[in-house]
Amino acid sequence: MKKTSLTVFVLLMLISILVTACGGATTPAPTAEPVGEAPAATEAPAAATEAPAVAASNLPAEITLAAVHDLSGATALYGTAIQKGIDLAAKQINEQKFLGEGITLKIIYEDAAGDPKQAIAAYEKLIANPDVAVILGPTLSNEAKSADPLAQEAGMPVIASSNTASGITEIGDFIFRTSLPESAVIPNTIKVTKAALGLTKVAVMYGNDDAFTQSGYDVFKAALEAEGIEILTEETFAKGDTDFSAQLTKIQSLAPDAIVVSALAEEAANIMVQARTLGIPETIRFIGGNGFNSPKLAEIAGTAAEGAISGAAWNVASTVPASATFVEAFNAEYGANPDQFATQAYTAAWVAALAIKNADSVDHAAIRDALTQITDFESPLGMFSFDANRDPIHEPVVLAVTNGAFDVFKP
Amino acid sequence: MFWQQVVNAIWLGAVYSLFALGYTLIFGVLGILNLAHPSLYMWGAFIGLVCVTTLHLPIWLALPVAMLGSGILGILLDRIAFKPLRARHAPHLATLISSIGASIVLVNIAQGIFGAEVSRFPFDIFPVHVFNFGGVSVTLLQLTILGISLVIMVALRWLIMGTRQGQAMRAVAYNTVTAARLGIPVDQIIMQTFFIAGALAGAAGVLLGLAFNSISPFMGGPMNLKGLTVIVLGGLGNIEGAVIGGFILAFSEVMSVAYLSSDLRDAVSFVLLLIILLVRPNGLLGHSSTKRA
Amino acid sequence: MNVFSEFWATYSSVVQFALINMLLGISIYFTLYTGLLSLANAGFMGIGAYVSAVLTIHAGTPLPVSLLAGALSAALIGWLLGLPVLRLREIYLAIATLGFGEIVRITAVNFDKFSGLNLLGGAQGLSGIPKLTTPGALLFVLIILSIFLVQFHKSRAGRALAAIRRDESVAATMGIDVYQYKMLAFVLGAFVAGLAGGFSAHLTRFVGPTDFSFNAAVNILAFAVLGGTLHWSGAMVGAAILTVLPEALRFMKEYRGVVNGVIMVLVIIYLPHGLINPKWFQRVFSKRRAQ
Repeated sequence: MKKTSLTVFVLLMLISILVTACGGATTPAPTAEPVGEAPAATEAPAAATEAPAVAASNLPAEITLAAVHDLSGATALYGTAIQKGIDLAAKQINEQKFLGEGITLKIIYEDAAGDPKQAIAAYEKLIANPDVAVILGPTLSNEAKSADPLAQEAGMPVIASSNTASGITEIGDFIFRTSLPESAVIPNTIKVTKAALGLTKVAVMYGNDDAFTQSGYDVFKAALEAEGIEILTEETFAKGDTDFSAQLTKIQSLAPDAIVVSALAEEAANIMVQARTLGIPETIRFIGGNGFNSPKLAEIAGTAAEGAISGAAWNVASTVPASATFVEAFNAEYGANPDQFATQAYTAAWVAALAIKNADSVDHAAIRDALTQITDFESPLGMFSFDANRDPIHEPVVLAVTNGAFDVFKP
Repeated sequence: MFWQQVVNAIWLGAVYSLFALGYTLIFGVLGILNLAHPSLYMWGAFIGLVCVTTLHLPIWLALPVAMLGSGILGILLDRIAFKPLRARHAPHLATLISSIGASIVLVNIAQGIFGAEVSRFPFDIFPVHVFNFGGVSVTLLQLTILGISLVIMVALRWLIMGTRQGQAMRAVAYNTVTAARLGIPVDQIIMQTFFIAGALAGAAGVLLGLAFNSISPFMGGPMNLKGLTVIVLGGLGNIEGAVIGGFILAFSEVMSVAYLSSDLRDAVSFVLLLIILLVRPNGLLGHSSTKRA
Repeated sequence: MNVFSEFWATYSSVVQFALINMLLGISIYFTLYTGLLSLANAGFMGIGAYVSAVLTIHAGTPLPVSLLAGALSAALIGWLLGLPVLRLREIYLAIATLGFGEIVRITAVNFDKFSGLNLLGGAQGLSGIPKLTTPGALLFVLIILSIFLVQFHKSRAGRALAAIRRDESVAATMGIDVYQYKMLAFVLGAFVAGLAGGFSAHLTRFVGPTDFSFNAAVNILAFAVLGGTLHWSGAMVGAAILTVLPEALRFMKEYRGVVNGVIMVLVIIYLPHGLINPKWFQRVFSKRRAQ
């Protein structure tokens, strides 16, 4: 009996698989698979194209941007910073009547909670909503890799502001980002610090189970090799770790010129505190990427962060004129300094509004085309343009913590 | 380097044991795996933080206040999420799920109140002093936490093995029906157990919050799996087991980073866990088949 | 646009996630029904997801072949894992299997670095998986599984598993080979979880190591326990509700998480045996018979 029920199970499974195969075969061809969900994919933009056709070359009274970000869960840290940036941009756009008299910009938020599945669900809901002109988001690169293909298929423009991994804008021609990828930031940092500090041998530390920190490590490694700097050891840690003394003790015994760290600011801060406690001297500097660039670093690490070097897309200390006015407005609104996430999100919302204004339409394809045309937009990040791959172009900066805050690195 | 790594491991072992004590206490007395324990730990840290930052209490006062607060939260947790299930003689799995639901609620409330950001205790709350013994560094904070942990462990053991209250707890752990017949106020004992476990979680929250500067609504998550590993390694419900388990896990982690590869650190820990369980299916100090009602 | 197609456009992925989670609910039901508290299903799901995704991407195999290969790999590893760990009881088994899930995760993170291949993508995960999962295929597999479960419970094997849950030593004295039947339940669970993993990879187009961590393992357990472990439909109902709930609660905005947790606690307090309890069916049937 046991055997028969097993046989039945196996048989049924085989049949089911065969039928699934046949089911696949009845739809024209495997390559035509995306068409299978065409009702969702093609109808939304079609509905959107009809609306402006009636209203000729004029914008509707209310324009909706949708933001898919992590507003709950462990990554809410970034999602909430991003939300502040977007909200401030929307407020300014409406106050300035940037889109024209009587036309207001509305932001609807959907929480992805750090989960690619929730990001997919949110995207699907928004793509089906004919009012949504552009999607801002998602927060994590993992979410982007799952959800962005949906938008690409539906022809919905997406502007990310916090995805720095590689392979995001490659998803398709509707995917843009205002976040400078790690590969545009880190090689510059290594070059500048090598020249200034005469680095010959370094230790590397990174979070190996996090997409952001691992991709930072990959870029660091390539940059270090390109500059001919020896890597003495590569130490890893896991997301959520708080004790790094074992790795640091090992690094201490190897006496590197500097410690290169690919970590989030909160982890990096603890690494610095524990390193100094173990007696690693301040002459051995910490070098990091975008992850370091948060006010939290110095806030948590205190004096241990002194001298830490970070390559970044933007910082409060930026001398760009638009940056100063943005920081002032942000402080007036929230009573605190913005971080890089808020700034890039703020820029993303402005870029979206600009594209809609230039396109003079909420048609998705028209907005996409207008986005590609954006050049030398005066943003807090600097004069902002998208390159041919829809990645941002602007100068990265090298920063160092001096007297408890990041300032431009002066060798 | 070796001795520094030994010091690192002892310190980390104390951290793990401290976290695991309340966890294992609840299991020992009630046979419940309380997955909301890490949330009480997190709340303890936040209560301590609020005491220090907004009430301007010194840290030696904030610690007992946080313990009291998370102890009371522990009682509330029992009243809301566990007591109704005991009354209905619900299966064990139901209490497990109830504790998961409760922990979702506790984490989300914390996020609503304190935000998602990571915060730390103010810099001047505890003197920073590094002792150096022949190349091995230890901080005053580490020594203090180690000392407090040891005191708590000894006190807990004394409470359970050497007092009438502990006797009653053990009776409840053995069999609630018999305990009730013997005139032991079972409900009150359970309440006290939850208070003590909550207070232990709170103490761990404040002390580890001081040590690792990363207080956030999600700080319990990463500790949870380590805590579970520790209490299972030592034998569920066993106080000494939790301490030994904590040190085994810490030594395994630190030594695999030092002499193997940090990539393999967690793999080594879990393979070690599997091996220990295969040799001792009830943990190192666990008794065979502690079947419960 | 009519109401249905509008609903489908908005929620088709949620429906498909619910169907996949139903598969996961069933996968853990096999072990829970036998009285085994195993939390390895997230790990098995990961194995199924990675194996099937790698096959589809690199070997270009059609979906059914990839799925079957993923599920069989999960079943094989389940068998190897079961050999030692099925001697453990209750929470000890739970934590040992949780440890296995972590080992799967750590392997996925480190595989490329240690093997020198560019296969699993480490922490970056594996992206660019073609979207081949269809609601029809999922529904079909679920229906087949349901038919199998109905037949299975009538079979000797099904009754043996129930006997083991009621009392292992009694089952042993009745001449039931307890270890072998536990293994059967464990491997069946692994197979179905692997299948679910394959479907999931070809729906989200992405597999990452964090998808199969501690939280995923605990979620799968919650599906089955909330729905009820005494009947196979319980796991499916529980999975459907817990998948739809967070989406349905989106309008609650920042209170979403709290409400989600509160509902979970309330349901389990008032229905400690889960939403689906066969005793109700029996009561209904016996009433009818009495009439």
